[in-house]
Amino acid sequence: MLRLGIDVGGTNTDAVLIDGQLVLAATKAPTTSDVTTGIVTAIGRLREEAGFDPADVAAVMIGTTHFINALVEGSRLAPTAAIRFGLPATSALPPLVDWPAALSKTIGGHSYLCHGGHEYDGSRIADLDEQEFRDVLDKAVQGGARSFAISSVFSPVNAEFELRAAEIIAEQLPGAPVSLSHEIGRMGLLGRENATIINAALRELAENVTTGLTETVLGAGIQAPVFLSQNDGTLMDVDHARRYPVATFASGPTNSMRGAAFLSEQSSCAVVDIGGTTTDVGILQNGFPREASTDVAVAGIQTNFRMPDVLSVGIGGGSHVGSGPIPEVGPQSVGYRLTQQALVFGGDQLTATDLAVAAGRADIGDAARVAHLDPAVVRAALDGVAGRIAEVVDRMRLSAEPIPVVAVGGGSILVPEQLDGASVVVRPEHYAVANAIGAAIAEVGGEVDRVFSVEPGRRDAVLDEARQEAVDRTVAAGARPGSVRVVDIEEVPLAYLPGNATRIRVKAVGELSLGGNDA
Amino acid sequence: MSYDVLRAISAEHVDALASGATLLGSGGGGDVALGALLLRRMLEREGAEPVPVIASDELPVDALVVHAGVGGAPDVLAERLVDPDDCARAVEAVVAQTGGRLAAVGVIEIGGLNALMGVIAAARLGVPVIDGDLMGRAFPRLDQATLTVAGHPIAPMALVGPLGDTVLVTRSSAAAAQALMVSSAAAFGGAATLAMFPTTAGTLVEHGVRRSLSVCVGLGRAFLAVDADAPATVAAEQIGGRLLCEGRVDQVRPREGRVPGSITLIDRHTGGVVRVDHLEEYLAVTIDGRTVVSAPEVIVALDHRARCPIRTDEVRLGQSLALATLPALHDWPSEVAAAVGPAGFGLRVEEPA
Repeated sequence: MLRLGIDVGGTNTDAVLIDGQLVLAATKAPTTSDVTTGIVTAIGRLREEAGFDPADVAAVMIGTTHFINALVEGSRLAPTAAIRFGLPATSALPPLVDWPAALSKTIGGHSYLCHGGHEYDGSRIADLDEQEFRDVLDKAVQGGARSFAISSVFSPVNAEFELRAAEIIAEQLPGAPVSLSHEIGRMGLLGRENATIINAALRELAENVTTGLTETVLGAGIQAPVFLSQNDGTLMDVDHARRYPVATFASGPTNSMRGAAFLSEQSSCAVVDIGGTTTDVGILQNGFPREASTDVAVAGIQTNFRMPDVLSVGIGGGSHVGSGPIPEVGPQSVGYRLTQQALVFGGDQLTATDLAVAAGRADIGDAARVAHLDPAVVRAALDGVAGRIAEVVDRMRLSAEPIPVVAVGGGSILVPEQLDGASVVVRPEHYAVANAIGAAIAEVGGEVDRVFSVEPGRRDAVLDEARQEAVDRTVAAGARPGSVRVVDIEEVPLAYLPGNATRIRVKAVGELSLGGNDA
Repeated sequence: MSYDVLRAISAEHVDALASGATLLGSGGGGDVALGALLLRRMLEREGAEPVPVIASDELPVDALVVHAGVGGAPDVLAERLVDPDDCARAVEAVVAQTGGRLAAVGVIEIGGLNALMGVIAAARLGVPVIDGDLMGRAFPRLDQATLTVAGHPIAPMALVGPLGDTVLVTRSSAAAAQALMVSSAAAFGGAATLAMFPTTAGTLVEHGVRRSLSVCVGLGRAFLAVDADAPATVAAEQIGGRLLCEGRVDQVRPREGRVPGSITLIDRHTGGVVRVDHLEEYLAVTIDGRTVVSAPEVIVALDHRARCPIRTDEVRLGQSLALATLPALHDWPSEVAAAVGPAGFGLRVEEPA
């Protein structure tokens, strides 16, 4: 079964062809402003390289930073109405309250409050006032809103008002894009609502991009279904992506880590990605990146997305090297000017790359230009670099046990064969296209994140219930039943609430079901 | 550490106040970000005046001070948010009961969200906020306030729900006030705004924790100035604290009801076994069988990235934490250790055999 993985980055569009565990071909093409031309070029090169029959491709997986870039640039966003059910509560902090002023203005600044919302036990704060909502809707449309973000207090517990609002919009404004907070974010009203508003603002762009992607793939003669990578490293089909573009936001770093791990045949490891200026270290557990425990802001907007936990340190291939018997390396760097400014490339800056060449670890540029360096100083500097990388890995790993370290990126020559705390150092081939590979190998996921009442002695039963729900959602999302497994369970008792209320979060993944040919 | 005396709180102080309150929360005290959003919005509004900060000894001894805050589940507050008007209503209900004119609002606990709620209530009511509080950190119970310890009544106490429902307790023992607060908050969907401890400025001079708002803002400023790449020892020193250990979370045992849970870390440098007991807040740190720090001292857990303080509910298996301690803001009399020390949470201080 052939899978085509494509990563549309800011600079390059990478494409890989994978058969099971085997990378058959990999290529790069420049990313184009219309996205699709770059993809067409990449697929064309892949066909030249591997000569595959488009009919043999079972699925196309695409990872893209297009949507997060649109938000960061504040361009191509739809005028959006943010409508919340919560009155008489929540009025002190209306929707969009914590958005950067410029971005709020870009999407029209339409912020509305209606009566409604629920308590943690699912009972109503106030009844839905349909007339009030219809009036708000009229006002929003007159104000120019074309996309609608609906949030409601405790909608992850009870979504009835958000669902009813969607029905009313469908009736009054057929075809208008509606984004519902309970389908997008987690517990925590403002973060969930913000993610929903971002999603709504991206819906028109998503319509264009997904249509373009589908047509492009079809145009290349590939009839297979198209999927997009999500934040957590799982897939959504193209129709889902059309409705939930915000779910692609963190797919870049996630795909990169998963791709690197796949290439090195490790499912639990540290991925050390060394670029020109920084070293980024992430941890994979059961093949998925460990998530950061604190929330993240995107383009200055607080959301409650979980992003991969990545720790960075200012060491890269272009890092400046100081003077003295044990020279400091970084954090200043020549960055992308490495190939002009480093000694081995004829420049006059002593960089970390020059050290690696002088030590005989890499054969790059002109080694004669670093032959004058004192071997003892070179060794001391490189040992210092290795020590700092080892320290970051040590801070990140899950237990005191040594773990496999997967070293990728242009500066990975700075990682020695023996690293403290590493059971083995692996340098996979094809790492330059790790993102596209991460997309190609992705599975389907499902998640539950809700407040459960855990009566004494019923903890196991409640956990089973949550597990089952996550598994069912995974199958509903397109996973092959029988291949689904639970990869993460989190259980947090809620403080100061009666009835042993516990927030339980379960994540499950399974293999993509592709008709009958995936047995 | 000594910090400048704070005379007023304006929008520019909100970040430092929130940061200091998070540290003094000792890993609990709810999500400060919500209070910071509310307060910033109030203070940035056109024509908004800074909130005057006044020391209890600057007021006439008989001046009326009522303490304001929120109580209940942080997860409920994160969904239903808080309305400053409800805070003001709760204070007004207490003032109507006691009679007299409100001179200032007091902060119940300087740790966590309630540090900001006191300021928010004062801002809404147009009165000064007292430079002080009643706990010197965050504590879960009303018997852990200095005034309760000194035998001062908690009631009259008012609790206001998001629909304006109000419970007024005119007279109550400390134990009953605690139970009524919990059950009223539950009846209001898990959280309520509160006003309690009506007292005089003179009583606060004698029994309050003094200058804690100034300390909180100063502490927050010092913390915000810490370089993100600074080693944990340096970060701890810069906030006037002491680094206890750095290590990886090896085990997380959640609390069960009122029985404290614990986190176990392995010290990166010594290999020592570090246990942190917690309920809503971090309560005690025990290294190799010896309790080195315990409540009412403040315990801070800093994440390895960005050195941000991590709450008890944010700790994850495998996470790297630096544990530090800050000196208690209040000199608690030794006979109340049973209330504010480890024993107050059913914990035993461990000494090596």
